[in-house]
Amino acid sequence: MKTVDIVTALLMIALSAVVMLGTRHLEYWSEFAPGSAFAPFWVGAVGAFLGALLLVTTLRRDQHEPHGFPGRHGFGRVVGVTAGLWLMVVAVPFLGFIASGIAFSLFLLLLVEKRPLVPSLTTTAIAVGIVYGVFVAWLGISLPQGMLGI
Amino acid sequence: MEALASLMQGFEVALTPTNLLFVFIGVTLGQLIGALPGIGPAAGMALLLPVTFGLEPVTALVMLSGIMYGGMYGGTLTSVLVNVPGEAASVMTAVDGHQLAKQGRAGAALSISAIGSFLAGISAVTALVFLTPILSEFALSFSAPEYFLLALLGITATASMGTGSPIKAMIGACLGLMVALIGTDPIQGTSRLTFDSLELLEGIDFLPVAIGIFGIAEILVSMEQSQHVEPIKTRLRDMWLTAKDWKDCRMAVLRGGTIGFFIGLMPGAGPTVAALLAYVVEKKASKHPEKFGHGALDGVAAAESANNSAAHGALVPMLALGIPGSASTAVLLAALVLLGIRPGPQLLTEQSDLVWGLIASMFIGNIMLLIMNLPMAPLFASVLRIPYDYLVPGILLISLVGAYATSLSMFNVGLTLLFGMIGYWMIRADIPRAPLVLAVVLAQLMETSLRQSLMLSEGSMSIFVQRPLSAVLVLLVIASLALPAFNVVMGRRAARRARLVSGTTD
Repeated sequence: MKTVDIVTALLMIALSAVVMLGTRHLEYWSEFAPGSAFAPFWVGAVGAFLGALLLVTTLRRDQHEPHGFPGRHGFGRVVGVTAGLWLMVVAVPFLGFIASGIAFSLFLLLLVEKRPLVPSLTTTAIAVGIVYGVFVAWLGISLPQGMLGI
Repeated sequence: MEALASLMQGFEVALTPTNLLFVFIGVTLGQLIGALPGIGPAAGMALLLPVTFGLEPVTALVMLSGIMYGGMYGGTLTSVLVNVPGEAASVMTAVDGHQLAKQGRAGAALSISAIGSFLAGISAVTALVFLTPILSEFALSFSAPEYFLLALLGITATASMGTGSPIKAMIGACLGLMVALIGTDPIQGTSRLTFDSLELLEGIDFLPVAIGIFGIAEILVSMEQSQHVEPIKTRLRDMWLTAKDWKDCRMAVLRGGTIGFFIGLMPGAGPTVAALLAYVVEKKASKHPEKFGHGALDGVAAAESANNSAAHGALVPMLALGIPGSASTAVLLAALVLLGIRPGPQLLTEQSDLVWGLIASMFIGNIMLLIMNLPMAPLFASVLRIPYDYLVPGILLISLVGAYATSLSMFNVGLTLLFGMIGYWMIRADIPRAPLVLAVVLAQLMETSLRQSLMLSEGSMSIFVQRPLSAVLVLLVIASLALPAFNVVMGRRAARRARLVSGTTD
């Protein structure tokens, strides 16, 4: 957990720097009122302070608590699901939402969760059916259709 | 008396067929979401927010609030039957509830939870009826400094009174403020932190943040291992409580409900803290404290009464002041904004049908949940037998479609995934997520009221202590920031004393 906290603290300090530097070209104070850079400056300053505080308290900590991240197998499943989701997002403009959703669902059930084929196909059909029924048929939301036209 | 008359008007709104149907849908979904591990009520509300876009505002709100308090009832099922809390506020129920289930008393645990939740819920809604108008009228005298301090207090109190490290909770809040800064300055209209991206010019919507941080992140955590649950079987005839059970638990319900309501009023504390505190208090008050941890029915009664009461109590500051005190009420507040309604003290006067319709629907919703949880608990328990792995694809697809539906943009879907990854890191790094979401919701109010205050005072900070009310709020903000530091100092002193004593006795 110590390493995780140190990484968190450094990320916070880096983000605070991005916020402050990213708005340095804006007005901090304009005539008689705060300008556009006022809030980012103070949010960045507080963020950098909190990041530094977390870093110091972590480095001074004696106890070594185990981190909360899973083992290799569990982390692999998480990475697999995340990668599948990003691939789906990339595929949507080409295949359309429904087709990409079907592909993702089958990937998740068959490859990541290693479920049997027939229940996976049934689950995919039900899940996509619910999405289509609620969002497309009932709410009338137009989902991207891609090259396949579905 | 005026409150009662308004409540009657609210019942007229809530008892329309459409609103009754959506109360039922909301509490049923809440019950299911609460029962299923891996996704909590706040995540469920965020996922289903896009579904409410085509509904009337009052219908949307009665459904979403039904999910919120329905989740409190649903969390009991997995806690008692599987020893896995369906959501965080049911952790204490799992401690004794599952022990009771192993002793063949699952039905009694489920019954007292349902009855306790119902009685505490109805009492909390009744208190809400009288307290909300009083607080709302008082808040009409607020001006920019008070609004800024109230929003700041909402964030600092959430960070200091929630569970976990206050430093990490404040980091979560700060992250939320940074997210909210992206886009256009609300006063001057200049672009900030957009990095020349047209999509970021409109800022980051609340929904991708909420769906990602709560929904996707919680699913990723649940995917770490294959979930296999074998719920203890329970039958309808086991649901009957004996006279002795009721005699043992009635004070627990009263104490738990009262503690829960007052904890719920405080921003940040929420149903989880309420259940924990009520359990601890009940253990001290019980005639049989040795039973706690080994199957104490009054422990279950206290925790469940408290969590439902707190869920309703959290609506008081949300409706009266426009300040959400929990992740769930933050989603409700965001729903109001998305529906084009301005939250704040004027809500009760400008949208009285909406507010009173919502309050009346909570009476109806609690009655529906009692009916569902007493005779139908074994039916809901059978849902737990569906392997969780088969539910995940549907939940993820609904999350992504919901994110797309807000602005018909795949950019938002990508943002949702990014926040999902951030939320996963936050869960695993023990960084509370509720402060982030609260900060995103409150940031614009905070910035505009701060800048307006400084504009009025020509840059002088004394405007924040000029009026007694704002001076009190400043003191409360300072107290909420000092409280964690005070706790650390007291904890270190106690540890030092314990080391000295053990050193002396050795």
